[in-house]
Amino acid sequence: MEELFTYYDMFATKGDEYLIIIAVLVLMIVFWKFLYMKPY
Amino acid sequence: MAGEKLETVDIVEEKAEGPSIKSFGNFIDFLKKELKPKGNIATPFNIISLPIMLLGYVFIVLRLAYGLGKPVTNLTQEFPWGLWIGFDVVTGVAFAGGGYVLCFIVYVLRAEKYHPIIRATVLNAFLAYLFYAGAIVLDIGRWWNIYNPMVGNSFGVNAVMFLVAWHFFLYMLAALIEFSPTIAEWLGMRRVRKILGALTLGAVIFGITLSTLHQSGLGALMMMAKSKIHPLWYTNFIPILYFVSSIFAGLSLTIFEGSISHKVFGPQIDEEHHKSYDDIVVGLARICALTMFGYFFLKAILLVHEHAVPYLDSTMGFWYLFEVIGFVLVPCFMFVSGAQQKNLSTIKFAAVLTIVGIILNRLNYTFIAYNWYVPLSERYWPAPMELVITASIILSEVWAFRWMVNRMPVLRKPPAWAIEKEH
Amino acid sequence: MDRRTFLKIIGSGIASAATGNLLTPGRTLAKEGPSAKELYGILVDTTRCIGCRRCEKACAEVNGLPIPDISEKANESVLKTMRKTSPTQYTITNLYKTEKGSFYVPRRCMHCNQPGCVAACLVKAMRKRPLGHVTWDLNCIGCRLCMISCPFDIPKFEYNKAIPRIQKCNLCFGRYNKGLVPGCVEVCPTEALMYGTRRNILEEGKRRIAQNPDKYIEHIYGEYEVGGTSHLYLSSVPFEQIGFRKDLGTVAYPEYSTGFLYAVPFIFVLWPIAMLGINRATKKSKEDEGHHEEKGKH
Repeated sequence: MEELFTYYDMFATKGDEYLIIIAVLVLMIVFWKFLYMKPY
Repeated sequence: MAGEKLETVDIVEEKAEGPSIKSFGNFIDFLKKELKPKGNIATPFNIISLPIMLLGYVFIVLRLAYGLGKPVTNLTQEFPWGLWIGFDVVTGVAFAGGGYVLCFIVYVLRAEKYHPIIRATVLNAFLAYLFYAGAIVLDIGRWWNIYNPMVGNSFGVNAVMFLVAWHFFLYMLAALIEFSPTIAEWLGMRRVRKILGALTLGAVIFGITLSTLHQSGLGALMMMAKSKIHPLWYTNFIPILYFVSSIFAGLSLTIFEGSISHKVFGPQIDEEHHKSYDDIVVGLARICALTMFGYFFLKAILLVHEHAVPYLDSTMGFWYLFEVIGFVLVPCFMFVSGAQQKNLSTIKFAAVLTIVGIILNRLNYTFIAYNWYVPLSERYWPAPMELVITASIILSEVWAFRWMVNRMPVLRKPPAWAIEKEH
Repeated sequence: MDRRTFLKIIGSGIASAATGNLLTPGRTLAKEGPSAKELYGILVDTTRCIGCRRCEKACAEVNGLPIPDISEKANESVLKTMRKTSPTQYTITNLYKTEKGSFYVPRRCMHCNQPGCVAACLVKAMRKRPLGHVTWDLNCIGCRLCMISCPFDIPKFEYNKAIPRIQKCNLCFGRYNKGLVPGCVEVCPTEALMYGTRRNILEEGKRRIAQNPDKYIEHIYGEYEVGGTSHLYLSSVPFEQIGFRKDLGTVAYPEYSTGFLYAVPFIFVLWPIAMLGINRATKKSKEDEGHHEEKGKH
């Protein structure tokens, strides 16, 4: 257990993670349509 | 045959159902007509519930004027969360779980047997979130800032509460979309109805994902209260327990509410639906029993995992066993017995016991097993105004439910032009 | 540098600034990277405290709170009961009688290294500032989850106000910029309160223990408790005897919620995929496949 003398934000990446989740959900719709698209 | 084009049916059924709303003015007139009470006003239920509701609204104004201190609530520095958060919000949302579970069963697993009750259940879920999650506005001390988690530049992405708040909002939208075809049918808007019907599956999938996270999220809110919650209840897996219990909590409420609805709104329900209803209840009972079986043994495993077994030999231990055996194990077996013998009364009683058990469980985490070591004289018990306001909110929700069921095709069969295609 | 490299740098700079700032501009401590600035704290030596309560008076004066009566007569009666902080008292001193004698123990916000209240706040009203001060801000919605999440029960809520606030010590955050030490530290007559960087006061605490092994027990409360705090305590007797909980563990409180928070992205991605799959798999094969309307918000 090292001493802690400076602050480290353990949740720093959570904001970006949430943004990516939103993007993934949108992309999921696109991908699903793509998966079942009729071939040309 | 399903898959036939709707246009031919349209021409035949043209003037059959639904008002013709061509403008906003039309809509207002229609709404005014619909707002008039249908049927007897002076029913026993109305006579009892209306004064309570009105008194509650007065108390709400007092709460806004005087803050959350006594005499409005009995909240203290030791017990910051009481009846409103613990019961209205957390327990209320668990009971609304019937919505996402049933949507999973009907739209994802395609168990058509349960289709007749899906609309009433989704309506209940939507109204529950609107009223009970809406009750949050009452409980938070600086309610004018309620939109802060939604806008602004200081999203607390570190917080479980941030996720729960956003999910409540998004789930309300998803439930509304799921219910919107019924509203479109009420307004006779055929094209809109078609569009909304196509959105159902997406809204359902989104709704189930959201529900999983916020039902468990409500449990996750208490994770940092480790030093305050009694070891028999505190575990690293509280979120999973909340999620699993929301399944049978929601379905039990569906059974309970369904039995009342079927009596009160009986005339609306067609023969076919009435006949299948018993089957539906038996099916739901089996699902509850199975989930409760799993939940009971999850609790047993966690008891051992958290080294909490010695605590069973104490007053709190007795209270824990009372909750888990009396209101989880016992109703579980009653559901099994009721399902085997197709005995609706047993099942309904089991549903009531389950509902009580969920209330006990959620309130334990909020102010009973929370800060359990605080002496009785300093503990929190709901104040009279808190109880009245809670009752007022619940009754208001029931009134809204009744208003909508009496006017929209929730329990009634939908208009012929709104044949639902295979989803 | 050629144009390509220049554009790449600008592009990635904009992207990271956008994502970083989009959600939490001005409130993301991580934007500054692991801070080179060190945390500040207070070393509280309970063997030196004489219970004069001058710290309580100074705190009230600095923060515009009701000024307590700290005459000897008043102190005598006040110190008879165990007190907790309150919406009008950010710091309080309690008297503990032990076999080794009487000790006065001033208590206030511990300014944890990883505060539970900060992790709980959904609008970042509770924040940990770069130098360690844990402060409260007016965008608070009053949900009181910070109160539930604090192992030391420090945040206090103004229940009886129509416009309530959360009240607690903020390590005199406003005074730091003026080059002043916290009000309580400034007036302490016996130097029971020592203000400095956490590194320095920890060192000092260890030095005092090493040089006076009979006077102090060999433990600094707050060194590792709940992942470390910026208020560090020295004591002559075991800490349970002077009102400290020994069962709080050494895990930082926010870590208790990370199990759930880290699972969120997985559920968000996997649940829709699983359900789309099941919905597809349970579809009656008689249905014409291409016809299927899949418009929808997932």
